[in-house]
Amino acid sequence: MNLLEFALSLCTFLFLLFLCGFVFARKVHRILPLFATYICVLLTGTVGLWFIYRCFGFHSLVLYYAYWGSVLLNAVARSLAIAELCRYGLRAYRGIWGLIWRVLTFLTILLFVRTVFDAWGEPNRIAIYGTTIDRDLALASIIILVVLLLFRNYYGIALEPTQRAIALGICFICVVDVIGNTVLRNIFTGYLLSFFLGNPEAARSVMSSQFQRVSDLWSTIHLASFMFTIGIWSYALRNPLPKPGDAPVLLPLEVYRDLSPAINLRLATFNTRMVELLKP
Amino acid sequence: MNDLAIVIPVVLALSVVLFWLLYPRKNQKGTSAPPLPANLNESIPAPMHYRYFREIRQALSKDDAEYLLRAAPRNVSKQALRERRNVALGFLKGLRDDFSNISRLGRIIAALSPEISHKQEAERLKLTVQFQLLYAVVWLRLYTGNLPIRQLERLTGLVSRFAARMDEAMTEISAQSASPLAEKLGA
Repeated sequence: MNLLEFALSLCTFLFLLFLCGFVFARKVHRILPLFATYICVLLTGTVGLWFIYRCFGFHSLVLYYAYWGSVLLNAVARSLAIAELCRYGLRAYRGIWGLIWRVLTFLTILLFVRTVFDAWGEPNRIAIYGTTIDRDLALASIIILVVLLLFRNYYGIALEPTQRAIALGICFICVVDVIGNTVLRNIFTGYLLSFFLGNPEAARSVMSSQFQRVSDLWSTIHLASFMFTIGIWSYALRNPLPKPGDAPVLLPLEVYRDLSPAINLRLATFNTRMVELLKP
Repeated sequence: MNDLAIVIPVVLALSVVLFWLLYPRKNQKGTSAPPLPANLNESIPAPMHYRYFREIRQALSKDDAEYLLRAAPRNVSKQALRERRNVALGFLKGLRDDFSNISRLGRIIAALSPEISHKQEAERLKLTVQFQLLYAVVWLRLYTGNLPIRQLERLTGLVSRFAARMDEAMTEISAQSASPLAEKLGA
């Protein structure tokens, strides 16, 4: 571990500690328990990796496996935090929530299956599996967030500022992860593939330094962007959270049953006339 | 084609959409669905623009154009025709606002309904997308001078009739569910 990596790791730990303090001081765990859990997982993972590094060394296999394990654990915790964001504030709107959760669940299953298929054909090495799965899960997170926000925008139900900042932070780190992991995966499965597949001793002697340089560069970019994300979340939590609003008063079911088909029928007629307008 | 050429542009495009969606808008006042007023009739988005169609039609009539070309100097008549086209485009935009208001009413009702039909929602979304595309084509044709004003009149008539029927439907529904609605919405 060079000085820059050491400094970044230490800063990440301090930033996370600071954020964790904010999360519990603002009682975020009462409103968004899965997001609070995600932050705790991040902090625990950082501390755990630090201890493994101190005990086994930076280039040890234990740290290597622990690192990839923590990457996947973080991805799972982040997915749960996103699921919580999806549910937050929409559950009270029973009608549209019934539609939204079905669409999002279908999309999640689809994206998860895609992730499995994507990782399936990869060479049997944890770094390549980890990079592929982490990349695909981050991409899935972005897609889910986009669809969620499209739904919210369509029905005019905006996210609260804190939740918006949480989504922004998740989106930023996911974008960096997708781009970084895609580049890394391309290097691993292309230029450095022989490092993973060839004679380990021979390959290591030739490519070890390149592998290390690529890993170090990615680690530095990832840590820097991660600190920026923590900054976004900390900034959002600088003030006490507003009390959750009252549940909306829903209309009688008959209003929707009577009006919605009428509205759609008229919109369809309107479009038919628009098409007629364009006929010569 | 490798991943770099597909995944990176896709994720950049998605992130632009996401940041745009996260950006707070001026008209977003709260985090709950826009409320309906106690009296449902007040919530009917009144199509404003079709009312002025008579004046617009007069201003855009063929006779006026011919008179302008005959009587005014060339640069003045050209300027006037350009202004006419801008008026027609502005009017078309107004019609789109009317359409959007009516469609928005449908979405508010859906958001505040305890149960919705997925088929109805999918259909409305499809119709809205379809309308946006058609609007773009009509706008383009109007802009290039390929759409006669008479056809625009038909469109306007349709919006006004629609608004009138929506008004009737709302009145009927308000009458049917007056007491429970008043109690719930007034709470």
